[in-house]
Amino acid sequence: MVQSKKQRNLFLAFCLVPTFLMFSVFTLYPLFNGLYYSFFEWSGASSLAEFVGFDNYKRLLNDEIIPLTILHDYFLVVTKVIGIMILATFFAVALTQMKIKEAPFYRIVFFFPNIMSVVVIGILWMFIYNPSLGLVNSGLEFIGLESWTRPWLGSEDWALPSLVLPSVWAGIGLFMLMLMGGISNISKSYYEAAEIDGATEWQQFWKVTLPLIWPQIKISILYIIITTLNGSFIIVQVMTKGGPNNSTHVMGSYLYEQAFVKYNFGYGATIGVMILILSLITVLIMQFFMRREKVEY
Amino acid sequence: MKRKGGFFSRSFVRIPLIIWSLAVLYPIVWMILGAFKSNAEIYSNPWGMPESFNFGNFVDAWTNYNIDISVFNSLIVTGLGALLTLAMAIPTSYALERMRFRGNRLLFTLYISAMMIPMVLGWIPLFFLLMQLNLLDNIFGLAIVYAVSQLPFSIFVMTSFMATIPKSLEEAASIDGMSPYGILWKIITPLSTTGIITVTIMNMIQFWNEYFMALIFLQSEENYTLALAIDYISNETQYTNAWGTLFASLVIAIVPVIILYAIFQRRIVKGMTEGAIKG
Repeated sequence: MVQSKKQRNLFLAFCLVPTFLMFSVFTLYPLFNGLYYSFFEWSGASSLAEFVGFDNYKRLLNDEIIPLTILHDYFLVVTKVIGIMILATFFAVALTQMKIKEAPFYRIVFFFPNIMSVVVIGILWMFIYNPSLGLVNSGLEFIGLESWTRPWLGSEDWALPSLVLPSVWAGIGLFMLMLMGGISNISKSYYEAAEIDGATEWQQFWKVTLPLIWPQIKISILYIIITTLNGSFIIVQVMTKGGPNNSTHVMGSYLYEQAFVKYNFGYGATIGVMILILSLITVLIMQFFMRREKVEY
Repeated sequence: MKRKGGFFSRSFVRIPLIIWSLAVLYPIVWMILGAFKSNAEIYSNPWGMPESFNFGNFVDAWTNYNIDISVFNSLIVTGLGALLTLAMAIPTSYALERMRFRGNRLLFTLYISAMMIPMVLGWIPLFFLLMQLNLLDNIFGLAIVYAVSQLPFSIFVMTSFMATIPKSLEEAASIDGMSPYGILWKIITPLSTTGIITVTIMNMIQFWNEYFMALIFLQSEENYTLALAIDYISNETQYTNAWGTLFASLVIAIVPVIILYAIFQRRIVKGMTEGAIKG
């Protein structure tokens, strides 16, 4: 290329600097500033921020709701990982291995909730759980299980488990497609060889399919963990706002309540730091546990 | 010995597939039908077909609940956000993918790892930053925040797309005396159309659907995006029981997404699965 070094650097700056400036101002600076705020007692008025050292962190450790929010977040992580992975794996195997003619139809339908707004999903499911009109209670009455009907989202015991179903419902398509991508890359000859050796379909699934799509399974699980820890509060905010009686508060919704409803911005930032640390630790631990030699036959 | 694909095992597998299809489709179809029902009908016959299709709920949502303003706001935020993302992502992706400079890998890693960082922590300072910049409770401010939030994903997809463009074209253009700006604008950008469309559709769906940042950064009703307006109507419904109006506004929110999905199904699926396989 015939250009002077100066021109080249000018072009490089043109490409990189404006974007990086925007990224720094609207992403990097807020993150670091959040860390900084966590050492202040602050109700929003700019002159009244008071440095309090680790007081917010002490408060965090003594706040009775914090352990609940952590527990609720990990409850959602575990139930979503199990629910989504089992169903997504089953559907992915069924749609790739079973030669079902209408497979594209299922693929298109199952994926659609992935691009619906969480607001729409949340409101739809609020109505499905509605105590008097909702599909769940009407269905239970219809099959003669009146005693099982309850105000799902209004019950302290059932509200949190009730949030799992909409999340699984909305998430399954994406992970099914990721796994299908993995399965379609497996060479047919492995299955033919397994068949000659007399392996049943079940054995083929455990010994051939599962080990060979392990990379996709691993990515899916990590992705569910990250998106749940970083985003479970959205559906909580739409469907229950953390209630009844804090029984569905997750870390993010509690941060929102502390910062933007009660104006404890410093304490809110401290909760944010906790979310950041916990999600990083969780991802690192999971990566360690799911480390597994890449299988090649 | 009949193996996979046998009639019985296939029928057996179809049962859960059909059940899940119903579980996905029924609530969506029912929501659309509910939008055409009167309130009395929703109570007497919540899960069946409407007696007649009337558009009263849509009119009510559009005029009495200011959905018209929210649709307008959402369109502005979505369109502007998508354009801004492209303006920022295309030059940076090109430099990261094609040019050698010190810190290239580092910068790329920085952008990509931002996809894994929970942004909740940043939203508190961002709130005050926007306040100082007079961009709080302002749809243009929200569009900027949206654009930057989708920057890592967009750079990730764009760089992998630009990597597939043959280098010889740029070299030929350069020998013909074209400036690097010309190469970026007249050669790389047109050749990246497929990638640009994929990224833009993904970002537009994201912006159109987004709820939580809008909840934090917008306050007055005349600035509400569609997601906020619907949430507002939903909270009101507890007292007004205007379910029909709520469903009508949900339908207004979901129809553009259905249309985009119908047209760009493959691209959307590809964009999302590739975006997820970053770990």
